[in-house]
Amino acid sequence: METGPYYFVKNLPLHELITQEFINTFVKKGSCYALTHNTNIDEDNTVALLPNGKLILSLDKDTYEETGLQGRPSQYSGRKVMKFIVSIDLMDLSFNPNSKKCERVSWSFKEKKPLKFDFLLAWHHTGAEESTMMSYFSNYRIQELQPKIALSTVTELQCPVLRSGALRGEPEAACSAPELLDWLGAVFSRADLTNEPHSFVSTYCCPQPSTVVARAYLCTITGFILPEKICLLLEQLCHYFDEPKLAPWVTLSVQGFADSPVSWRENEHGFRKGGEHLYNFVIFNNQDYWLQMAVGANDDCPP
Amino acid sequence: MPDTSASCMYSLVSASGLQGVARPRGRTREDGAPRGWGRPRTQAPEGRLPGAQQAEAFVRAFLKRSMPRMSQQACEDQLQRKAVVLEYFTRRKRKEKRKRSKGLSARQRRELHLFDITAEQQRYSLFLPLHELWKQYIRDLCGGLKPDTQPQMIQAKLLKADLHGALISVTKSKCPSYVGVTGILLQETKHLFKIITKEDRLKVIPKLNCVFTVEIDGFISYIYGSKFQLRSSERSAKKFKAKGTVDL
Repeated sequence: METGPYYFVKNLPLHELITQEFINTFVKKGSCYALTHNTNIDEDNTVALLPNGKLILSLDKDTYEETGLQGRPSQYSGRKVMKFIVSIDLMDLSFNPNSKKCERVSWSFKEKKPLKFDFLLAWHHTGAEESTMMSYFSNYRIQELQPKIALSTVTELQCPVLRSGALRGEPEAACSAPELLDWLGAVFSRADLTNEPHSFVSTYCCPQPSTVVARAYLCTITGFILPEKICLLLEQLCHYFDEPKLAPWVTLSVQGFADSPVSWRENEHGFRKGGEHLYNFVIFNNQDYWLQMAVGANDDCPP
Repeated sequence: MPDTSASCMYSLVSASGLQGVARPRGRTREDGAPRGWGRPRTQAPEGRLPGAQQAEAFVRAFLKRSMPRMSQQACEDQLQRKAVVLEYFTRRKRKEKRKRSKGLSARQRRELHLFDITAEQQRYSLFLPLHELWKQYIRDLCGGLKPDTQPQMIQAKLLKADLHGALISVTKSKCPSYVGVTGILLQETKHLFKIITKEDRLKVIPKLNCVFTVEIDGFISYIYGSKFQLRSSERSAKKFKAKGTVDL
């Protein structure tokens, strides 16, 4: 199934994202997503555009002092604040284009401190498609990219036994949800699931009770994927069990960008040691499902 | 008795003074004899009263009795040619009172509104000539601003120069709302800059934690406000140390 194209623009100045034209064409019609590419959240300036029209800037101290925009210090700063978060509501800006706020923001982005980033853009349009991003940003170097899909099969895989009703697991009958998450991580990183004595890399062992499955499919999709596409994927996975299948359950794991400035619902995201934030669906053949959400150390709890 | 002795002493002294003889100095007379209490017996004092002689004898005896340690010689030496002052006056040096105008305290200055700029005077156009004047002053100070002048020299001169009338703008500040304020500097106090902007608004900007930009003829200088917390009069005498980078 199609996971949608996403676009990569090099050296896009920030004031392009706050023009009235951009807001009317993309932000208001559908959901527009943007994220700076190749910037580290804990040291560089990072910008993200959320589908609800908010532009989040995570700036380091010197840049924040020069732009002159009102922001707040990051939640994850130590004694000395090094990072500041500025949040600009684009919907608000488009409401009154002659307000002082709008003028100050455009002055700051155009004259005071013009910032340029490499952006990853994606747009989910509702309704008829009038213009595309390719044509809008034709002045800049824009590329259309598709997410990379990697498919592999694993034979004779040890899988834990799960029961949909038992989230915490039952002794000798089913495994608990955290154990499943660990197992998933081991499988996707191709670690050995038997705790062999000569294995140096990992001492991980498949949680008991487990069964051996003849064949398992692993599919990895990498790219700037829209949440709408993920919903479609989830629906398709649910329909997998419309016909009776041998497999007792399937999982769908979604990993967020480690360098994104936001986690769930505009919560601030920090890197600390891994910058992970992910969620995992486990879908059972009786249409039950488990949803697990995990965050790293510098994150708020997911909603 | 004490009273008479005192008056005797005085009369003794004054009598010797009345003589008017230029007394030769020194302890011994020309003929080798020590100078004594008395006058040379050969010279009979003319106006001498018998009472005075009696007084003299009395005083001598009195002194001998009250100061047994001191020999008569020492006593006579002490009393010779000296006015024995019975009251002690301290010589107070009269400092000349410098008529120093104290000046007004800060409270009095505020009450007098000396340094306030009234609303009618808050117009940008009024201060443009001041800015021109300042530009001329800086040009004279740096000896003509040519494009190839050394920036270090201009910086050094600007540090000591008076900045009233300069076009100042805030480039960096810990408080984002101050950033971008541009205008002509009207007053500079120890901690503040008072600036009038183009919209005829008087803005008061604290120097702390701000970086200001001063531009003159294409030369842009950055002033770190935290290091500049001095009155403009004191700044001309201060030596600034060079520091690598300054963090706000």
